[in-house]
Amino acid sequence: MASVSFSDVKKSFGATPVLHGISLDILDGEFMVLVGPSGCGKSTLLRMLAGLEEISAGNIAIDTRVVNDVESKDRDIAMVFQSYALYPHMTVGENMGFSLRLRNDAKDLIAQRVAQTAKILNLGPYLERYPRELSGGQRQRVAMGRAIVRDPKVFLFDEPLSNLDAKLRVAMRAEIKALHQRLKTTTVYVTHDQVEAMTMADRIAVMNEGRIEQLGEPLELYDRPANLFVAQFIGSPAMNVFDGIFRGGAVEALGTRWPSNAKAAEGQKVKYGVRPEHLGISAQGAITAEVVVVEPMGAETELVVKVADASLVVTAHGRSNAKPGDAIKLAPDAASVHLFDAASGLRL
Amino acid sequence: MKKKYLNEAFLLLMAVPILLWSLLPIYHIFLFSISSKDSAFSGALWPDLPTLRNFSYIWKQQHFYLYHFWVQIWNSLWIAVAVGALTLAVASCAAFAISRLKVRGGRTVMNLALFTYFIPAAFLAIPMYKAMGNYGLLNNRWSLVLAMVTLASPYAIWVLKQASDKLPWELDEAARIDGATPLQLFRLVYLPLMTPSMVAIGTYALLLAWNEYLYGYLLLSHERTITLAVALGHFTAADDSPWELLMATGLVYALPPAAIYYAFRRYMVSGLTSGAVKS
Amino acid sequence: MSAIALPQTSPLPPAQRRMTSWQVWGLILIAPYVLVFLAFVLYPVGYGLWLARHPESYVKLFNDPIFFRTVVNTIFFILVAVNLKFLLALWLSGFFTHERVWIRWVSVLFLLPWAVPSIPTIFSIRFMFNPEWGVINSVIFRLTGLDGPNWLNDPHIGLSLAMVTHIWKSLPFWTLILISGRLAIPKEQYEAASVDGATVWQKFKYVTWPSIRTLYLSSTILSMIFTLGDFNSVYLLTGGGPADLTHVLATLGIRYIRLDQVDMAMATIVCALPFVLPLVYFMMKSLSKSDTER
Repeated sequence: MASVSFSDVKKSFGATPVLHGISLDILDGEFMVLVGPSGCGKSTLLRMLAGLEEISAGNIAIDTRVVNDVESKDRDIAMVFQSYALYPHMTVGENMGFSLRLRNDAKDLIAQRVAQTAKILNLGPYLERYPRELSGGQRQRVAMGRAIVRDPKVFLFDEPLSNLDAKLRVAMRAEIKALHQRLKTTTVYVTHDQVEAMTMADRIAVMNEGRIEQLGEPLELYDRPANLFVAQFIGSPAMNVFDGIFRGGAVEALGTRWPSNAKAAEGQKVKYGVRPEHLGISAQGAITAEVVVVEPMGAETELVVKVADASLVVTAHGRSNAKPGDAIKLAPDAASVHLFDAASGLRL
Repeated sequence: MKKKYLNEAFLLLMAVPILLWSLLPIYHIFLFSISSKDSAFSGALWPDLPTLRNFSYIWKQQHFYLYHFWVQIWNSLWIAVAVGALTLAVASCAAFAISRLKVRGGRTVMNLALFTYFIPAAFLAIPMYKAMGNYGLLNNRWSLVLAMVTLASPYAIWVLKQASDKLPWELDEAARIDGATPLQLFRLVYLPLMTPSMVAIGTYALLLAWNEYLYGYLLLSHERTITLAVALGHFTAADDSPWELLMATGLVYALPPAAIYYAFRRYMVSGLTSGAVKS
Repeated sequence: MSAIALPQTSPLPPAQRRMTSWQVWGLILIAPYVLVFLAFVLYPVGYGLWLARHPESYVKLFNDPIFFRTVVNTIFFILVAVNLKFLLALWLSGFFTHERVWIRWVSVLFLLPWAVPSIPTIFSIRFMFNPEWGVINSVIFRLTGLDGPNWLNDPHIGLSLAMVTHIWKSLPFWTLILISGRLAIPKEQYEAASVDGATVWQKFKYVTWPSIRTLYLSSTILSMIFTLGDFNSVYLLTGGGPADLTHVLATLGIRYIRLDQVDMAMATIVCALPFVLPLVYFMMKSLSKSDTER
């Protein structure tokens, strides 16, 4: 268990800069998720921490020790790859014990550690099988087992659930989280799926184009996104955002007035952001919308509605009687409205 | 329905000339081996009195050209195995360095190796002969071994590199994080995964050396150092040589490659065509 | 909530290009082959070229009528033998892709000429064509009562038989290559063509040929290079005779070595290079192109 610290870390591939000065401190025992769209640099950052990529500038420290020039095997880390990277010619038990075998540990010590880890992950019956005989979820567990056996200071996960089907992903998410609660090892987890980030992280770093857009606890990012990118990246279905002008305490947009507790300068061009669950349907609502699509999800109903020429998503609790073509009235929750500066995208 | 039978008949019809064409010269060797001298020269298609006497002559080395049969077949065997083993060692190390370690200059070495492969061996033979003379290795078994390793390595490296490139890169990364040194990665991860290709290449190099005539003829001269192939060539020095003995010895000489080919045919076919000329 | 104050370290300069143990091992492991190359390719080639430096050898060579004949033989050999061989290989590769158990066995036997060594087999062919006691002439005599020709003593027939021998030996390998090319074509393309009503010839023209055309052409070029170096087919069959009239460039060098004329042998090889090098260049280019395409 250890802390991890990135100090102004930069990375360029040739002349192309990929990371523009990342500074990030990860606490001992924390589950930190790096999330962002493809190409934002999150995997590169993780691989630099693992020692698989060279650092162009800046420092990376594990447990306050700078590891820039330290080889992967001496950093006391373990990594779970997206494609599991299991050794196809070794059994599950041999895969898991490989790192100990490389250190020339005693055979019975290796067997003991492997058995212990297999127990935690329910891999006991599979120790003599080969990776090709296992399902995706089982292989993922073997990959995790291989990491756990090493008892490292830091766990690194590189999009481990991307290759699994949806149902398995949900199950594995819970398993990984439970594992973290049990082992309490510092974990750095990379994913492009914001649901994984929200459900698993102690803190999230949202990345975009080589920069950290916002760092904070999941609900903090959800309730107070620092900029437009974070606001639209976190939350599913995504936040509704459209252009407007702040005038007289409310926002003029889409041909009508929208309430907002957040304030801006008079006449300022803003982006109005409101999450689907904060767009209430109410007979007293001031905004008229036309229903386009009704998606009953069971516990909730998602409606796609049109106001002027903009498509908005509304999430209503329970069932709805609305049908496509109906006119409904919307009453946005003014306290939950987000205003962003139209030019910079920053929260106001 | 009738078309299907016609199709089958047509295929069978094609198979007959294919088999005749392929097997006739080989059958002819067999024919001579079991014939006595008179029966062989009568031009018969099957001997009146098939005999195994020729093989007995070979076994007991009872002819001028066969005096050193056992030494010579031992030389062929020794050289073939040495070439196979050495080629495997040199090529697997080089392919690992080029493909997994991404050594600087690896591309250049690969290109140089390919260049050597494409130059016909017959043109390299005479310069090799002169060079081996300068090295003082003429009439030494090692000259043939080293020459054949030089000829077999390029293709071996190419095939091994192609097969190695197919291994996922994450395996090396996982091994590095697990704590593997370069040698451990080579020994514990790379070599086990390359085994099928290595069998194909080892067999290829071994057969290349066993079947080789020209280089043996140039580099080795003493009766006790030459390979069986070169010894067979000596038979044609005189006009009244015992051709049936030559064919019988030739049959013995041809058996190991045929047997190895048969045993490994599946490996060799897939291992060789995977590294073959790509479209 | 956010950052914790960890000891601030001053940023180091970008990591120096040090030799990691991985790079060192890379060099160590590639060294054996490099040594082999230097000692047994570079040096012999260099030395050989140095031996071939006298212009007089070339003058003597061009004045030797055997040389001219040899060049003609070689060109003829390559153009005819290789193309004939590949047409056969193309046809046979189609035969062998039919999935029958007995065809699999036929293919095992078909590959035998390639697997067995040249010496016994080419001598066997040589003896088959012996004018007095060879099986060919015996059968001709038994069927027609006539004496068959002295096959290997006629330069044209001799060279042709050398080409037949060459085809006999190398056809299986190239057929195998073309088979693997055919097998790479997805079955669905043929099924779609069947549904569209294509005949056997049309299937070949529109499905098979476009897919294997490149393989066919590059294999032909490669085979020409190998055929240029085919020493055994001529030497073991005719020995270059009669009267040195069936030599090819590969065997001519040996003739001069036996006459102890090393400089002439080397000059012959140098003269063969204009044939070899363009083909090699073409092969290297097409190979590196397919390598970077991956």
